[in-house]
Amino acid sequence: MGDYEVMVGNKACAVACKLARVKVAAAFPITPQTTITEYLAEIAASGEMPGFEFVNCEGELPAQVIVSSAARVGARSFTCTSGPGLLYMHHPMQETASGRVPIVMAVVHRGVKSMQPDHSDLMSQQWQGWLHLYVENAQEILDTIVMSYKIAEDKRVRLPVAVGYDGYVLSYTAEPVDIPDQAIIDGFLPPYKPPSSMFYDDPESGGGRRRGGGDGEDRDGNTAWKIHHSAAEGAETVIKEVFAEWNKLIGRKYGNGMVEEYRTDGADVVMTAMGTVAGSAAAAVDKLWKDGKKVGLVKVRSFLPFPRNDFKAIAKKVQAIGVFDRSIQPGMGGPVYHALRTTLYDEVHVPIAGFVGGLSGKEVKVDDFIKVGEKTLAYAKAKKADAHPIWV
Amino acid sequence: MSKPIPRPQVPMEERVITPGSTCQGCGAAMAARLTFKVIGPNIIRHGVPCCPDQTSMTPSTGSVFEGGGPCLTGTSRALKALGRTDIKAVAFFGDGGTYDIGLGGIMAAAQRNENVFVITKDNEAYMNTGGQHSGGSPKYAETATDPVGPASRGNPSNKFQAALAFAALGVPYLATASVAFPEDLMAKVKYAKDIIGFRMLLIATPCPVGWRFDPAKTIEVARAGVQSGLWPLYEIENGTTFKLNYKPKELKPITEYLKPQARFRHMTETEINEIQVATTKRWEKFLKADEANQVLL
Repeated sequence: MGDYEVMVGNKACAVACKLARVKVAAAFPITPQTTITEYLAEIAASGEMPGFEFVNCEGELPAQVIVSSAARVGARSFTCTSGPGLLYMHHPMQETASGRVPIVMAVVHRGVKSMQPDHSDLMSQQWQGWLHLYVENAQEILDTIVMSYKIAEDKRVRLPVAVGYDGYVLSYTAEPVDIPDQAIIDGFLPPYKPPSSMFYDDPESGGGRRRGGGDGEDRDGNTAWKIHHSAAEGAETVIKEVFAEWNKLIGRKYGNGMVEEYRTDGADVVMTAMGTVAGSAAAAVDKLWKDGKKVGLVKVRSFLPFPRNDFKAIAKKVQAIGVFDRSIQPGMGGPVYHALRTTLYDEVHVPIAGFVGGLSGKEVKVDDFIKVGEKTLAYAKAKKADAHPIWV
Repeated sequence: MSKPIPRPQVPMEERVITPGSTCQGCGAAMAARLTFKVIGPNIIRHGVPCCPDQTSMTPSTGSVFEGGGPCLTGTSRALKALGRTDIKAVAFFGDGGTYDIGLGGIMAAAQRNENVFVITKDNEAYMNTGGQHSGGSPKYAETATDPVGPASRGNPSNKFQAALAFAALGVPYLATASVAFPEDLMAKVKYAKDIIGFRMLLIATPCPVGWRFDPAKTIEVARAGVQSGLWPLYEIENGTTFKLNYKPKELKPITEYLKPQARFRHMTETEINEIQVATTKRWEKFLKADEANQVLL
């Protein structure tokens, strides 16, 4: 094991970049992501990472283009942002994913209607073709950022990964964090090598990305999307492998990487939560069990790919599921709720209740999750849930 | 400052793949051929959406339309981080990707003095999509989005003077060139390539389709642009040192440039005179700057 240090979430993120030996980072400061950029600039200024380039760039859209471009050339790259900054990145994010460029980005959640956290920023980017992981605490930030490079760069995946964590409550909250030994990480994460070299003198040079070629060719327009979708779906296997390896190597476990179950054995119903509120949900679960109410928790760690296989198995063991969404798509509803219903439709018939709360930083207390658990138990008994959304 | 390459020293080898998919008489295709002849193999070419000119036999990459500057930045920083500064990040963008949708990113890259070389083929509108207005469009030019009508005299705004705007940032090298002056153009490419820091070369590349002239006359139109003072050939180093590369004893009237192009045919004598006066005045300023070896704004 390495050293313990008390640090805020944003520092854990920067330390993870250092452990992963990131070569190029570009970012634009935005609350609550700001201090990551400061920590990265400090690392660059300290000279402790020779060759590390930190670009103080003019906005989030350029930041995304810079890291995408740097990774295509062969440098492991990192960027980070929050809320409106993520929305500004929207256009080139599509290109990073379509170009199968394996960068990692921290998304420090800030809602789109206020500066306070919810998941509306990252949820608004669902169609961009990235993998979306959500984490709960500072240790999990550090571990997941490092693991995300291994997942992203795996040749079965080759997709960018966004690691989401709640602003303020996590980005600016100090917790003890274990920093693994660099030597262990170096063994876990080998240097990045792009699939085709862009160097003119490299015999393996594929010339990088070719533009314009292929337009008007007789080809199936679906093909690129088919490949992209199957890579994103298939990432489930790689995520599970990488988390298992991390557990073996470092001794820390986050469920199977896709979901983390808490006291689900023998539970009558389960609740789901993502991000920091999963901590409050776990505390509620303990209280509920104490009162003889058998409510388990499923922390959703990967939203994309959606843990369909895990939920199919979980749903068979319980009588109802209470989904807690920390964002809502107006006119549609909670994204996790809908993803889960779609997953279970025609597969497992249990009432699924769609709770929505914690928007724009609204505090979600342990008592709120106790109510979510109790309501879910009632829905199990009634074999029917209230109409979605159920506001918390 | 650059030194013109004498014709016998121009490399015989071609480094673009022909035939390309350009229109007849495409000025940008000529610019690509001349540029890649002399630039050498050790580059990564960058593109943003623009007319397909000529595919060069170099590794290439690209980005979103507005992403030219950051895309070059990313490549350049990665090359530095990987210890491959012998490879150059070179852009071959259009005027829209440089002066219009891409301006912010390229200006920011210039302001950071990124080690990149921006080559712009300026055909003064979005020719790839049918000739819509860009920041590179000259005043009174009729474009697809500056139609001439009872309430419009074509493009109401002045052409973006990119070289002078970028000179204010004090970047190491800026120059203009024209496909009608190939020795000068190639010399500037060769000279700028190995400078460290931000370099920019703006090449006048007439577009017979968008400017509406006979495709056989591309070089004549480009030459008239230079000889009338509308597209002066000059270099600026470190934002201060100025050199005019082509100084005719007397400027030709701008009508020699305007008349063959149908995009200007609606211009009245008063309007032509307005542009003539502005051009002459600007030329005098350039002559003074050349004499003083200094940028005068």
